[in-house]
Amino acid sequence: MGGYKNRILEMDLSTGKKDISDVGEDDKKRFVGGSGLSAKLFFDRFDIRSNALSPENPLMVMTGPLTGTNLPGTSRFVVCGKSPLTGIWGESACGGNFGSELKMAGWDGVVFMGVSEKPVFLLIEDSRCELHDASDLWGMDIYQTTDFLKASYGDGKQVKVFAIGRAGENLVKFAGIGNDKAHFAGRTGMGALMGSKKVKAIVVRGSGVAEPALQEEYRSLLKALITKVKASIPARALREMGTDSGLDLGMMTNDVPIKNWTSPQDFDLSFNLGGPSLIEKYLTRGHSCYACPIGCKRVVKVAEGPYKTEEGPGPEYETCCTFGTMIVNKDLAGVIKANELCNRAGMDTISGGAAIALAYECYEKGIITRKDTDGLELQWGNIDPALKLVEMIAERKGIGSILAEGTRSAAAKFGRGAEELVVDVKGLDAPMHDPRGWHGMGLGYAVSTRGACHLQHMTLYVEQGMSAYPETGLETNYKGPQSEGKAGMYLISENLGVPCNSACLCIFVLGCLSASDFAEMVRVTTGWKDFDVAELLKSGQRINLLKRTINALLGMKREDDRLPKRILTPLSPEGNVPDIDLMLREYYTLRGLDEMGRPKRETLEKAGLGELISRLCLTGS
Amino acid sequence: MAYRFPSEEWTKEYQRTINSSEDYKKSGATWTAGPVCLVVSANPSVGLDKEIGIWLGLQKGVCEEIKIVTLEEAQKAPFVITGDYARWKQVVLGQLDPIQGMMQGKLKLKGDLPTIVRYVKASQDLVKCASKVDTQFVDE
Repeated sequence: MGGYKNRILEMDLSTGKKDISDVGEDDKKRFVGGSGLSAKLFFDRFDIRSNALSPENPLMVMTGPLTGTNLPGTSRFVVCGKSPLTGIWGESACGGNFGSELKMAGWDGVVFMGVSEKPVFLLIEDSRCELHDASDLWGMDIYQTTDFLKASYGDGKQVKVFAIGRAGENLVKFAGIGNDKAHFAGRTGMGALMGSKKVKAIVVRGSGVAEPALQEEYRSLLKALITKVKASIPARALREMGTDSGLDLGMMTNDVPIKNWTSPQDFDLSFNLGGPSLIEKYLTRGHSCYACPIGCKRVVKVAEGPYKTEEGPGPEYETCCTFGTMIVNKDLAGVIKANELCNRAGMDTISGGAAIALAYECYEKGIITRKDTDGLELQWGNIDPALKLVEMIAERKGIGSILAEGTRSAAAKFGRGAEELVVDVKGLDAPMHDPRGWHGMGLGYAVSTRGACHLQHMTLYVEQGMSAYPETGLETNYKGPQSEGKAGMYLISENLGVPCNSACLCIFVLGCLSASDFAEMVRVTTGWKDFDVAELLKSGQRINLLKRTINALLGMKREDDRLPKRILTPLSPEGNVPDIDLMLREYYTLRGLDEMGRPKRETLEKAGLGELISRLCLTGS
Repeated sequence: MAYRFPSEEWTKEYQRTINSSEDYKKSGATWTAGPVCLVVSANPSVGLDKEIGIWLGLQKGVCEEIKIVTLEEAQKAPFVITGDYARWKQVVLGQLDPIQGMMQGKLKLKGDLPTIVRYVKASQDLVKCASKVDTQFVDE
């Protein structure tokens, strides 16, 4: 079988013991790799009820079968475990070059267990894997850590670094992990989990290759897919303007949340914060992840002024919203500064920005005052206090310590109606796409297994008409503000999107390809002869059901598959909102879930997941 | 009265509609990037034996000039959007968003994408104007 190295490194940090394990061929195929395989490991081998920051919760860093091939969009890998932010299944995918290097070093993944007595980093050079003292690195930000480790272990060939910053060290619940400064596993607080284990970084250097099983077919597919991706308009938009290309378009279609999800369209904001403005004012060059013909990453520099930065990674669309539109800040330089601060601290810019926007609104409403903010005046439109708050969150100082627990917890602490200002699902802050303009996205937020998520499904592409996958049964002309028929659309989008994070394919690349292309990528890489679109979609269903089962065992119920009040409130008298009851009802039927939100017995049997039935204590049919 | 699409008389009515649109006047107010040409691909089955270009001389929220041009002339415009007859019919009827059409590859764009993206509202307003023209399609 191609696509795997058949070796997972297991590090028990409490004892320092190393082990090499593998999973069965059958599970590799059933759960594909990446987050699917991690969920299977988590379910089979670990006490899933243990506290997320306890030694018993594993931190799994996994590649997928596509990782490290030269097929387009295959830089990716995923970090999984129980989420410190949400207390349920957590996962966060990342691009860059770490995953491919790990595969080239001969590993499918690394599983950390236990907790180290002192800070450590893991050095992997092919088969050589060693823990090193990281006491001197503890306290450094991600940029400093990365520079130091690259300088120390470069030896003429670049090593790849995956590190936490101060947010992870201080167990900020939405801390992320950064690969070579520019690429982040941002969501669900995996950086806090890494920090709880006292692992500062993983450094990897590999001299091998990722060999596909069907070499000849692989070569012709590679050539065809690169040509196809390069020719597509979404790829061109991403290459020329980065992910921030979505801001101008999104403003037009009511996709962009403004003023903590309370204001309608503001074209002045998108004009100042969108991709074209970034190009004109601050872009120094583009940048790509490993094996990517798109190259959506931005390298930027603010040469002068109060938000001066060194040349470095630029903000993504989400960050331009959280530190731009969400606090009504029009100054793109300020957003770039906020992005740099978050990157250095190792903080998810979505949840971090959401926490800050919540604080701004609480301040406006008098729920918190200057006394609570250490004198900061949280005025809409002014990013300066937001920059201070990023640092206070990372260091857990003052109100920063409250916000560091996440918006749901902070709002509960603030009280006086603050809870109603939070836009999250299952504790994960919603990304910057407003379901009031796109109802299918609302269903995605409600039922995604890690909480409000736009990356576990292809809804963003399908519903907005940027991509079409007719071979899966999807249509091409969905209306955004309409709930009828969206459950069916979403189910297929989810079955297609879920394996993206298991095979470890970039969702932007899939946005330029067909589902058949994706299935072919997996088939020629692994050599699984019968792997086609139908199998791909089945794997999506299977992985989703497994993660849903884990969440059910962790107490998630139908009432947790919800949308927050704010999303169910129109932005204007003529505005509309998702009919979440209708979509949920239809989705539950189509997905085969019972009234509690658990997969039904026959659903699991049909999906070949009989082993889950006894754990869920499902009886009868 | 209904105007045949695509034809010279349709373009004149389209120009009149654009220039009476307050929305476009506002959203296109800063447009100085030059003409936009919409090219309808040849389709003999509906009587279009060769490509037809609709040249829009847009400047600061006003359509100063509109004319039918050949493919060769059309290619001289800094922005050229090409699609087959059925796609343009969908656009004129308001059934296909031109930005979505470009993203899905149903319409091809030649020209600076960031500029088009920046003027996405203006492009939507131009489409709204097209859908307001009383249109008789050549295949109906």
